[in-house]
Amino acid sequence: MWDLRLPSGLFFTVLGLILCGVGLAGPAQQAPLTEANVNLYAGAGMLAFGGVMLWLGLRRS
Amino acid sequence: MTLAAVDYLIIALYFAFVLGIGWRIRQRVASSEDFLTSSRSVPLWITSLAFIAANMGAQEMIGMCASGAKYGLMTAHFYWIGAIPAMIFVGVFMMPFYYGSRARSVPEYLRLRFDEKTRTFNAVTFAAMTVFSSGISMYALGRLFQLVLGWSFTASVLLSAGIVLAYTYLGGLTSAMYNEVLQFFLIVLGFTPLAILAVHRAGGWEGISSRLPEMMTHSWAYTRSPSANPMGVEVFGLVMGLGFVLSFGYWCTDFLVVQRAMAANSMTSARNTPLVAAVPKMLIPFIVIVPGIAAMALMQMNVGYSLPPKGSGYDYDLTLTTLMASFYPSGLLGVGLTALMASFMSGMAGNVTALNTVWTYDIYQGHIRKGAPDRHYLMVGRLTTVVGTGLSIATAYLAQLYNNIMDLLQLVFGFVNAPLFATFLLGMFWRRATGHGAFSGLVAGTAAAALTHGLTLAEGKGAWIARLHEFPSTMAQNFWIAIVAWTACFLVTIIVSLLTRPRPESELVNLVYGITRLPPPEPRARWYQRPGALAVVVGVACLLLNVWFW
Repeated sequence: MWDLRLPSGLFFTVLGLILCGVGLAGPAQQAPLTEANVNLYAGAGMLAFGGVMLWLGLRRS
Repeated sequence: MTLAAVDYLIIALYFAFVLGIGWRIRQRVASSEDFLTSSRSVPLWITSLAFIAANMGAQEMIGMCASGAKYGLMTAHFYWIGAIPAMIFVGVFMMPFYYGSRARSVPEYLRLRFDEKTRTFNAVTFAAMTVFSSGISMYALGRLFQLVLGWSFTASVLLSAGIVLAYTYLGGLTSAMYNEVLQFFLIVLGFTPLAILAVHRAGGWEGISSRLPEMMTHSWAYTRSPSANPMGVEVFGLVMGLGFVLSFGYWCTDFLVVQRAMAANSMTSARNTPLVAAVPKMLIPFIVIVPGIAAMALMQMNVGYSLPPKGSGYDYDLTLTTLMASFYPSGLLGVGLTALMASFMSGMAGNVTALNTVWTYDIYQGHIRKGAPDRHYLMVGRLTTVVGTGLSIATAYLAQLYNNIMDLLQLVFGFVNAPLFATFLLGMFWRRATGHGAFSGLVAGTAAAALTHGLTLAEGKGAWIARLHEFPSTMAQNFWIAIVAWTACFLVTIIVSLLTRPRPESELVNLVYGITRLPPPEPRARWYQRPGALAVVVGVACLLLNVWFW
């Protein structure tokens, strides 16, 4: 059976990179009710999740 | 709410991945069983996450967040009492029969256990209900996107339905389940930041508790009387109606979820599927209900957040999207909306794949054309994907035109569903239950549900025969309709079964408790891989949550 961890890992890695990129490029870009750079933090979380999935998938294959 | 280019990029990336997964899996489909049942080959971690994702439709996410804002933490009953006990029961006690009987669908189990008419009754009502519910949720999604993003209803409906159609057509159940796992991750990772940000802004759980009436942050403390809580329910109706009849009726007999467990690669995996799924399920309230409660606290704080008014209250259905607009900047906003689309797609794909199997095996092969080569049934399965999606789209437009018809249909399906669990309970655990008993029990239960609705009134609904009783809320009415329907089905099935001839016990092996040798635990399995141990852990964790948020 095809290992789903590879495409999911890839998806969240790319998504994390996009969000981190947006967060770093425009830290002043904020939503009305928060001052945090949520794109950067959420992007880092997704990058970490995607990285772990990729690592698990690649280690097996 | 306006989207930036990066938001559209994220939506496009998600579409590319789900279609890519469907494209990749199409190579694995060589027979009708590959397409419709995944040929029992899917590993546990995928079946369990698909099991829960297929149930997490967009309406559930939007509705649960709205209920969180309207009723507070009592909404968590839909998870902690309304799902987990039933998920434990189906895994430990029922899955040995679903999986061990080698039935390809839940209605097929009914044919093996009872007879053709009971199977057909279940198959036809289930098939109609899947089309209807995916149409309704498509309508809800189209309307929401129209309202908050200004997208055209037709474009939202056709695009999202078209993508689900493409990947289920290509890879069948396996493709739908693989995508459901990706969708599950996206829903969790897309909604979790919202929960953290909203709760943090509202001053944490303590800040929320101090700003809202106490009943908003307790699950059981105000259920002693229907007048003490905004849901208008009391503890008996809640436990028996929601916790027993409705919850067990859904999680233990609805093919949409059971199908995911039946696709597992071994009996132990099939049994563990709902048990593993129960772990994320009991934590979902923290990412959908708690933000709704935080939204109400934010409204008290005058920080610039408010829900649009509707009637004498608020338009609670917009809680989730207004929170997203308040806390998510461009980028994460794209992820949040994609997560919403993902939840819609996982729910719709669940409906489509369940409809495919039931139509192809239980209705088409059972009644229209028996004994055709397998290639033919594979073709019928694929064709059903297209026709089913088309019918769902038509239902979405019908819902847009005639909202009342939809309410009526929903009500009628509720009547049909309410008694189902009694049939399965007696079928699996009482060898004396007969086909005539099961069928008449189902009919009697459905009639009893309709009768209860006709004789009771709640929020201006029901009492179309006479008004014998009035419930404080439609929710309480629904719980009691379910209790009456279940009891009627249970009693009539027993009475008619005792009056009719049972099947010989030799025909009931692998179908009924007491005659079937239950699967022994796998010798090399660790303790946490055994269904019994897993059930205890999940049960205790759920109990602790109930006590913690009493």
